[in-house]
Amino acid sequence: MTKSPVSTSWRTRDDIASRPWGGTLREYDLFKELVVGVVVVGLLVLGLSAVFSSPDDPSVTLKSWAQAQPADFVATATAELGGTSGTAGYGPPYNSTPDASQKLGPIDLQSLSGVRLPIDTATDFVISPLQTLPTAPAAIDEWTKASDAQHAAWTTAYADALGKAPDNDPAKVPPGDYGPVPALTGALLAMAQQGTLDPVLSAKGSFYNTDYKASILFLGDGSYFPGLADAQHLTGDQWGMMNETGNYPGQSWLWLFSALYQVEPFKSSPNADVLVVFSMVILTLLLTLVPFIPGLRSLPRRIPVHRLIWRDYYKHR
Amino acid sequence: MLGIQQTDAGMPDPGIYFQWGDFLIQFGNLVVIATMVVLFILALVIPFPGRRSRK
Repeated sequence: MTKSPVSTSWRTRDDIASRPWGGTLREYDLFKELVVGVVVVGLLVLGLSAVFSSPDDPSVTLKSWAQAQPADFVATATAELGGTSGTAGYGPPYNSTPDASQKLGPIDLQSLSGVRLPIDTATDFVISPLQTLPTAPAAIDEWTKASDAQHAAWTTAYADALGKAPDNDPAKVPPGDYGPVPALTGALLAMAQQGTLDPVLSAKGSFYNTDYKASILFLGDGSYFPGLADAQHLTGDQWGMMNETGNYPGQSWLWLFSALYQVEPFKSSPNADVLVVFSMVILTLLLTLVPFIPGLRSLPRRIPVHRLIWRDYYKHR
Repeated sequence: MLGIQQTDAGMPDPGIYFQWGDFLIQFGNLVVIATMVVLFILALVIPFPGRRSRK
């Protein structure tokens, strides 16, 4: 007794898929479609990118700052030495300045992280970079041997003198008891103007770098960088979160986030960031849970926009 | 009150901004948002394509 071999082809079966196609046939060139698709889409991408691409403004660096506004650079370096800059008083994660963190009622979220990225502005932004010079300034020794009280006295005196000097120009500061501060800030200014401070602060000896924290914090402590942001409407109180430089459209989907920063009680609150984030979390939860919230879930019935979209369906219903 | 702000800080193209009280919007963002609103309204009023031939 012989057994017929089992077919592995669907063509031999007698189901609907095995029957020959009885409809019309048309030639189709998959290769042509692929080439046209890639070429047309490629040209569209390149063309639209050339016309509508976002602005590529040159980076603001410590070098460009020191060259454009040397007086502001020296005043900021003095504040970093004296521990009176924005970074020095920021609190966690950079330092443990008392009462610096933002709180949500009794909850101090900022302090939960701890001081994970410790920054001593005098050492990290001024003294350590100067020590990388082939001939480090002798003023470093005088600074490191002095007490904290002496540091504060020198930097306060020099900051006051800079503030009173014509155009805040360090060259026009009258003689006084400033210790090594003018020599240190002057050497740091020269280093920045030559362009050697940027790589020293950012790379810290490594060839590749993705950590620009130190440079950006130093830049942010001055008035030059925030001034540029202000002129381009990029600060928080100018809806800056949703703006791009120039007239290029920005992140308009962040309108609600930005809007909260413009109104009270957020606007003048020292805890504005944490309050805005908390409010957005609550609003996002409300949106996510719409189907479960009585009243809110009835809104489509009360505002029947869907009846307008599907008006033909509802007309014949 | 509508006010058009143009700044000059020595930087290229500071952009055009419109302000009504606390509300400040950049020209590019205004164009994008207005376009989205117009497209939404058009989507509401323009009939679905091919609907008439459907029985």
